[in-house]
Amino acid sequence: MLILLFGAIFSGMGESKYTLYVQDLDNTDMSHSLVTILNKTNVLNIKNVTKNDDITKYIKDNNIKNLIVIPEGYENDITRSFSDPSAKVNITYYFDPTETQTNQILRSVISSVLEGLNMQLTQGKTIIGLTEQSTVTENFGFIDFFIPGMIGFTIMQQSIYGSIERNTKFRKDGILRKLLTTPITRSEWILAKMLFMLFLAFISTSVAIGVGVLAFGIKVNINLLTIIIVIATSFLFSGIGMIIGRFVKEEETADMAAGAISFPMMFLAGTFFAVESMPSIIQIIARALPLYYVNEGLRNAMIYMNQTEALINGGIVLIFAAIFFIAGVILTKWKED
Amino acid sequence: MIEQRFKCPNCQEIATFYGNPGETKVVTCAACNTKGRVIIPGEKQDNNVAIEVSHLKKVYDDLIAVNDISFTVKKGEIFAFLGPNGAGKTTTVEMIESIRTPTAGAIRLLGADTKTGFNQIKERISILPQEFHSFERFTVRETLTYFSKLYKKRANIDEILDAMDLQSHEKKLYRNLSGGLKQRVGVALSLVNDPEIVFLDEPTTGLDPKARREVWQVIANLRNKGKTVFLTTHYMEEAEHLADHIAIIHKGKIIAEGSLQELLTTYGEKTTLYIKNCHSEDARQLLEEKGFEAHSSGNGDIMVKIDYKEKVLEVLSELRHECIEYDGVDIRGSNLEEVFLRLTGARLTEEAET
Repeated sequence: MLILLFGAIFSGMGESKYTLYVQDLDNTDMSHSLVTILNKTNVLNIKNVTKNDDITKYIKDNNIKNLIVIPEGYENDITRSFSDPSAKVNITYYFDPTETQTNQILRSVISSVLEGLNMQLTQGKTIIGLTEQSTVTENFGFIDFFIPGMIGFTIMQQSIYGSIERNTKFRKDGILRKLLTTPITRSEWILAKMLFMLFLAFISTSVAIGVGVLAFGIKVNINLLTIIIVIATSFLFSGIGMIIGRFVKEEETADMAAGAISFPMMFLAGTFFAVESMPSIIQIIARALPLYYVNEGLRNAMIYMNQTEALINGGIVLIFAAIFFIAGVILTKWKED
Repeated sequence: MIEQRFKCPNCQEIATFYGNPGETKVVTCAACNTKGRVIIPGEKQDNNVAIEVSHLKKVYDDLIAVNDISFTVKKGEIFAFLGPNGAGKTTTVEMIESIRTPTAGAIRLLGADTKTGFNQIKERISILPQEFHSFERFTVRETLTYFSKLYKKRANIDEILDAMDLQSHEKKLYRNLSGGLKQRVGVALSLVNDPEIVFLDEPTTGLDPKARREVWQVIANLRNKGKTVFLTTHYMEEAEHLADHIAIIHKGKIIAEGSLQELLTTYGEKTTLYIKNCHSEDARQLLEEKGFEAHSSGNGDIMVKIDYKEKVLEVLSELRHECIEYDGVDIRGSNLEEVFLRLTGARLTEEAET
């Protein structure tokens, strides 16, 4: 499964086109020609941005990852360069720094197209250059992308494994039978387990943030939304653990069952790689996974400060949490048949 | 339905009505029309009974695991529940502990119906499940403290440690204890709420003989403290050593019940007197003439069945009278193992019941 997954990601299997937004401020034959050439590469899916759009706002509002701006005077500057050797024009490439793999591919395609044009126009002299600019105002690196993903992944692992293993081990050791005959109720038992899971979730979140801040100097914003997502994530995956624990009897199979759920989710849901760099079919699957919304929610809330997106992601996580936790509580077996 | 009479608090008129024990009825006085609620008293309980099981049944699809069994356990006694694998022992004990739901029948613990009143009596009972293992990273004291905090009524932990001879181990992690010590901690755990009934499901399975005898001592001490002990066991000698009352379950039914002596008398074979190396056919004939059941074994011994051990002297006196020589005698009495074998046709094994 992992071979198929990694193969698909790194070989680009199933991914025929990358979306590139283009704002043509020049709107001339030459600028149209550049867009046509880019389109003919068959690698890019070109989407036009109107001339009137404020590009910074457009990028932020639409969560744009890759965009080029053809400046006004593009054709004039090229024409002028035939007589004035100092004349040059620059295309601006906006990119999301967290999506390193997609950036590399797009940067390479755009550069190749511009090199071809330069060769055609001036026999090799660079008159059409490429300047790059991050789509985010701050300069985020991979570690900024990675830390929230690690937090989501760690809470998922702790909650699923903890829930399943605790259920199967306690059942095997007779602890559940013992507790059943004490005054403690089923709800109190589940609540106690959840409080322990939450404690672990906050510990692991603090450690991940601590390492990120101290070792890599990332800037993290701890806000109410972050805390809500962490709590909801803990409930969500504990619920999934309880559902699996209902059907798993042995400790040995508990490990396998937990791994079968958490491993594919870890790789598919954008913990280590941006989902956008994956083949389109996997992207569809990823967006059906709760961990994807946990990762995106934490990134938007903690790092990118995009609270609107964080709120949407957090809302989806809360819905997943409610569904899975309630199902888990209903299915958790307290008495024997 | 039982008949119940009441006196109207308003007009003092006596009225009669009918209902089930424990039922709350709204009644109207025929004389003054005063309405009121009256609780019909429950059936009269025997205050000396700790556990009362009536017509208990558990059915899984086509399998009848427990088939209409009834028994009572008196307060302050050790009740041993014996049965081969798959006989229904654990299913029965788990139904009594409300871990499993019976298909039919009624269970009363300390007078309370477990169907409706189990939560109320949780404080008064305690169990040691089969193959119980507590939290590995807790010390012995922490383990006892943890479980005691689940109850309102708490026994003194130091006294329990003292009674179970666990003081020197109180700071040891549970996972580092020997099997025998773990079982002792398990029994100690069942005392943290100072219960009236203690259920011990296979408490000595897997222990070496020394550790087993240590646990026996602990269980015997429970009786001395006035606790009722419901003991499920594979070990005949455990039941013989500890139990005041024994029930044998086989294929979901109780096939014998009573004190050890009652079981031996009712189901056991006669005591056998072995007269060693007595190569005399005359001796056998003599004993038969005197009314004894005597057989020759292939190795020269004569086996004489006797009702009472007192008959030994009578047999030996007859032999002496006829100057018959022999090397010595051996008396073998009946035991629970034989009773069990005779009743079930199977020996108990040490494997845990599922």
